[in-house]
Amino acid sequence: MRTSVISKMQRSFSIELPSLVPLQLPSRMETHLWYVVPEEVKSKSLLKHYSQLLSPPEKDKVLRMRGDELQKNALLARTLVRTTIARYQTNNVVDPRTLMFKKNMYGKPEVDWQNYKNCDNPPLHFNISHTDSLIACGVTVYVPVGIDLEDKGRKIKHDVLALAERFYSTDEVKFLSTIPDPEVQRKEFIKLWTLKEAYVKALGKGFSAAPFSTFTIQPKAGTTGGYNLCKEKTKKCNGEWKFGLLELADSHYAAICIEDDQASGGAPMRVIVWKTIPFVEDELISESRFL
Amino acid sequence: MASIAASSSTYLQARPRQLAIAANQVKCLSYGRRSHLSFNLRQLPTRLSVSCAAKPETVDKVCAVVRKQLSLKEADEITAATKFAALGADSLDTVEIVMGLEEEFGIEMAEEKAQSIATVEQAAELIEELLLEKAK
Repeated sequence: MRTSVISKMQRSFSIELPSLVPLQLPSRMETHLWYVVPEEVKSKSLLKHYSQLLSPPEKDKVLRMRGDELQKNALLARTLVRTTIARYQTNNVVDPRTLMFKKNMYGKPEVDWQNYKNCDNPPLHFNISHTDSLIACGVTVYVPVGIDLEDKGRKIKHDVLALAERFYSTDEVKFLSTIPDPEVQRKEFIKLWTLKEAYVKALGKGFSAAPFSTFTIQPKAGTTGGYNLCKEKTKKCNGEWKFGLLELADSHYAAICIEDDQASGGAPMRVIVWKTIPFVEDELISESRFL
Repeated sequence: MASIAASSSTYLQARPRQLAIAANQVKCLSYGRRSHLSFNLRQLPTRLSVSCAAKPETVDKVCAVVRKQLSLKEADEITAATKFAALGADSLDTVEIVMGLEEEFGIEMAEEKAQSIATVEQAAELIEELLLEKAK
């Protein structure tokens, strides 16, 4: 273990777990996005500490993943969720091992605050997404959030237009079919995928509540980085949901969707991004370019 | 989860399904070398599993499509009970798997079903249902 970490140890939890640095809550309409690059987490003892944070069912789930790499990523994903949420507690940093999770009636994971007598628990919402090479967790207060990541270079095995025709809305197919360069077309397909997926995850009602072909996401005219959600049948686009699309770590597209509480007057989404290695370091990523 | 269809006379048109309830010893997921995880790769407890009689050929074809989509190696094991997520498939992979299955079997799956298939077994059962429908 590095000396800087040892000097921070407070022994308030059991053996050797260094303390977590507390965090300021996001403000309304702000999303905090935390990501881990699995390749950067190599220390066996650190991974061992992480595995001590997980509940028994979570450990079982990690073990059911096929192969060391998938198991490591599953471990990092749960670690990221537990440590991030623990750090946002307004009174004391909560022991990440004591956090409990439940699923809403459609299967979307949420924090279960029943163990905490403290009524000041902020109405935190979170959502995670991961690929082979990146794991991210989005956090908001008061409004539901959905995030999705995709590797920018991800190969699509089928014809992109055929996939779009099968799964996307007619307007989205029209948009994609006007793109002459197949590489650009592939990228736009993936960006759309992440936006649509982020919406369904923010909605939290499962895919059957919002099949991809029933809604269109399109860039908002006159803005950079704003998107509209329009229903396929009615073509109505109401502003209930806000979207943001960014490039993360030079390698991924990350889409964020939050419920718009209408109080922000149509202002674009604010996202603050950190790269992190739980218990070790945080790095504020100052430039988030919206796409 | 495997769907349980009663083989009663009201289902005359559908092929009656036999259910075999087998106690399965779940295999220990050990890959022959030490894991960096601190908790042991212990055997998961015996549990009852309901195996549905989707034809082995269907299951095999589904496995082949999944292998191709996820670029699995020969050594990677995949059976009826295998969850796509455990193989590292995300939702885009699942949708591509569905397209691959639709092409392979000449069927079309309803979108909500397509995006919620989680195991080889589920895919195989849905495919056989759709093939039956088609044959009517």
